[in-house]
Amino acid sequence: MPVLEVQNIEKRFGATHVLQNITFSLEEGQALAVIGSSGSGKTTLLRCLNFLERPDRGSITVRGELLFDAADPAAQQEAQVRRKRLHFGLVFQSFNLFPQYTALENVALACRLLAQERPDFRANRAQILKEIDERAYALLEQMGLCERAGHYPHQLSGGQQQRVAIARALALSPDILCFDEPTSALDPELTGEVLRVIRSLAERRTTMVIVTHEMAFARDVADQVLFMDGGVIIEQGEARQVIDCPQQERTRQFLSRYSAS
Amino acid sequence: MKKKLLALALMLGLTASLCACAAKNEPARDGSDAAYVRQKGTLIVGITDFAPMDYQNESGEWIGFDADMAKAFAESLGVKAEFIEITWDNKIMELDAKAIDCVWNGMTLTEEVTTAMATSEPYCLNGQVVVLPADKADDYQDAESLGTLRFAAENGSAGAAQLEELGLEYVAKTTQADALLEVASGASDACVIDLLMAGAMIGEGTSYPDLTYTVQLSSEEYGVGFRKGSDLAEALNAFWKTAYNEGTVLKTATTYGVQESIIKK
Amino acid sequence: MLAAVTLSLLRGLITTLELFFLTLLFALPLGLIISFGSMSRLAPLRGVTKSIVWVIRGTPLMLQILVVFYGPGLLFGLPLLPRFTAALVSFVINYACYFSEIFRGGIQSVPAGQYEAGQVLGMTRPQIFFRVTLLQVVKRIVPPMSNEFITLVKDTALVRIISVYEIIWMGESYIKKGMIWPLFYTAVFYLAVNGLLTLLFGRFERKLSYFK
Repeated sequence: MPVLEVQNIEKRFGATHVLQNITFSLEEGQALAVIGSSGSGKTTLLRCLNFLERPDRGSITVRGELLFDAADPAAQQEAQVRRKRLHFGLVFQSFNLFPQYTALENVALACRLLAQERPDFRANRAQILKEIDERAYALLEQMGLCERAGHYPHQLSGGQQQRVAIARALALSPDILCFDEPTSALDPELTGEVLRVIRSLAERRTTMVIVTHEMAFARDVADQVLFMDGGVIIEQGEARQVIDCPQQERTRQFLSRYSAS
Repeated sequence: MKKKLLALALMLGLTASLCACAAKNEPARDGSDAAYVRQKGTLIVGITDFAPMDYQNESGEWIGFDADMAKAFAESLGVKAEFIEITWDNKIMELDAKAIDCVWNGMTLTEEVTTAMATSEPYCLNGQVVVLPADKADDYQDAESLGTLRFAAENGSAGAAQLEELGLEYVAKTTQADALLEVASGASDACVIDLLMAGAMIGEGTSYPDLTYTVQLSSEEYGVGFRKGSDLAEALNAFWKTAYNEGTVLKTATTYGVQESIIKK
Repeated sequence: MLAAVTLSLLRGLITTLELFFLTLLFALPLGLIISFGSMSRLAPLRGVTKSIVWVIRGTPLMLQILVVFYGPGLLFGLPLLPRFTAALVSFVINYACYFSEIFRGGIQSVPAGQYEAGQVLGMTRPQIFFRVTLLQVVKRIVPPMSNEFITLVKDTALVRIISVYEIIWMGESYIKKGMIWPLFYTAVFYLAVNGLLTLLFGRFERKLSYFK
C-alpha cells in the first residue's frame, strides 16, 4: 500500500486554475522530485499537502487514512487539521526559523508543546523534556551542526539555517517530509551542504516530496519524478527515465532549457 | 469619493444629533433642583482660586467671602458645601452636566451668564480697572489715553469685553492672574481686571508692589449662578435677605475686607 | 518655598503617574483586542473596529475628555463619572486605539512564513501567537511604543480641563499667588519621568537585541 495517495486535487485562486487533476501516489521510503517552471503549481501542491491551502476538490490519503476530502468540509476544522498536519513535515525555501530561539530550541519547540498534551506530562515533565532535547541534539548532530546547537538563526549561514530547518521538520517524525525548493534561497556555494543532507536522508529511505530546480540532484536522488506545467501533471515516472528520456514534448522543452543554461 | 461623502454625512449627522440632544436639555428640568441637592446631601460649589472671594487657608480649607457665604447657604439647605476648582470656560457645561450645583466665585452678571444660568440677585458691586506699573500711572488717567498701550485680559472676562468696546487689542489669558503676570513681566503694558482682584493682589505688601490701577472702565454686579431653571436661585435670594438683616453678610464681608462693595438690601 | 512648591508639585505628580500607569494597565490589553478586531476575517467587525479607531484618532483627546465627563449629564441627564475616572476612561480608549495600530503594524510585519512554520509543526493558533510571533512583535513595537509612553506622560496635562489636579494644575495655581516659576519647574518632573522611561526602554531594546 502506498504511503501517500493524492486523488484529483484541484485548486483555484479566483478564476485561475492553479492545480487541476493532480493524481499520484508515493511508496514508503521513496523520494519524489517535483519539477517544472515557476508558476507551474509545484509549491501550491506542496502547500496543499501541508494544509496551508485547502484544495477545492480531491482527496489526500496517508497510510490508508483519508486525511483530506474536499467533499467533507466538516473534517477540515482547525483542531482536526492540526493533528493531520503532523503526518507531513515541510522545509521552506526561506527556512522560516524562529529568530528568538536557538538552533536546539527551534528543533525542540514543537515537540515540547506537543508533549504538554500527554497525560503523563505533569508527572514526568523533567524526564520528557530531557528526552526531547536529547533527540533534538541528536538530529542536529545528524545534520552536522552539534557545535551550533546554542546559536541563534542570525548567527548561522544560510546553509546551516536550512539544515536546522530540516532537523526541525524531522523532529516530529513525519510520515512524509516535504521540501519547497530548499536551496533556491541559498548562495550557490552553500547549496551543496543542504543537498548532501537530503541525499543522506534518501539513503536512509526517508519518504520525501522535493520541489526542486536542481535537475541533476533530482535525477540522482529521487526515485520518482513528476513534471508539472500550467497546473497539471504532464509526465511522471522513474527519475532517470523522465529526466534522461522524457516522453512528452513539453518535458523535453523544459529540460532542454535547463541543460542549456 | 462616494465613501468620503458618506463619511462626511455621517459626521454631520452625528454632530447634529449631539447638538439636538444638548439643546433638548436647555429648558428647565422637571423637579426641584433644591430637592435634588438635599437628596444627595451636598451643594457642589464651582470656584476658582480668587482671593478674597474663594481661596485656601494654610490647612487647605476653602475660605473667603463667597466661600463662607456658600457654606452658610448650604447649611440653610441642610447639606454640606463642597468646593471644586473648575476651569472657568467650562462653568456652564459643569452646571448643565450636574458636575457642580452652582458657580459662586465673584461672577460678573454678564449677558452671557444671565442667559445660560439661573442667577441670584446681585450681591456685590465691582468694576473693571486698568492695571499698570506705578511709574507710568500718571500718563494714563482717562480712557482716551489708553490707545497706545499693549493690553492683556482674561479670555471672555468682563475686562476683555470693556477693551473690545473701546476697540483696543489685547492678549487673551486664561486667568486674571495670568493677565497680571503679563504686566509684571513687561510682556504687556497694562491689563484690565476686577477692582476686587486689583485691591487684593497689587500695591504695597502684595506680590506686585510696583503695580497700581488707574482708570475704572465700568461697574458691574456679582451674582451666584445656578443651572438654568433651578429653584435654588430664589432660595438663595430668600436666604440672603435673612442673612443681610441678621447682619451676617456684612460681618463676613468685613472679615475679608469687601464690605465697601456689598449691595445694601 | 522651594520645598513647599516641590511637595505640592509632587502631589500633582502622583495624580499624573496614577493616570499614566492605570492608562497603560487597561489600554495595553484593550489595544491588543482592538488590533485583533481590525485584523479580523469578519468584514463587519473589521469595519466597526476601524471606524472606531478612525473617530478616536481623528478627534482631539481634549474633546474626548470633555465628552466622557460632561456627555452623560448633558445628553442623557445621567449621573457623572468621578472626574479622575472620566479622565482615565477617555485616556484608556484613546491610547488603546493608538496602541492597536502599533500592535497591528507589529503583528502584520512578522513574515507569514513564521505563522506557517508554526502551523506545519502542529502548533495551535494561541501557541503560535505566544511562542512564536509575540516576542518578534514586541521587538518591532518597542521603538514606537516608547514614543507613545512618553507622549502619554505629557498628555496627562490635558485632564486639568475637567479639574483633575495633576502637576501642571498644581504649577499653574501658583500663578495666582504671583509665582510663575513653579509652572516651569514642573518640566523638571516631566523630564525625570521621561528620562527614566527612555532609560528603561533603551535597556529593554538591548535585552531584545539577541535576535534579529
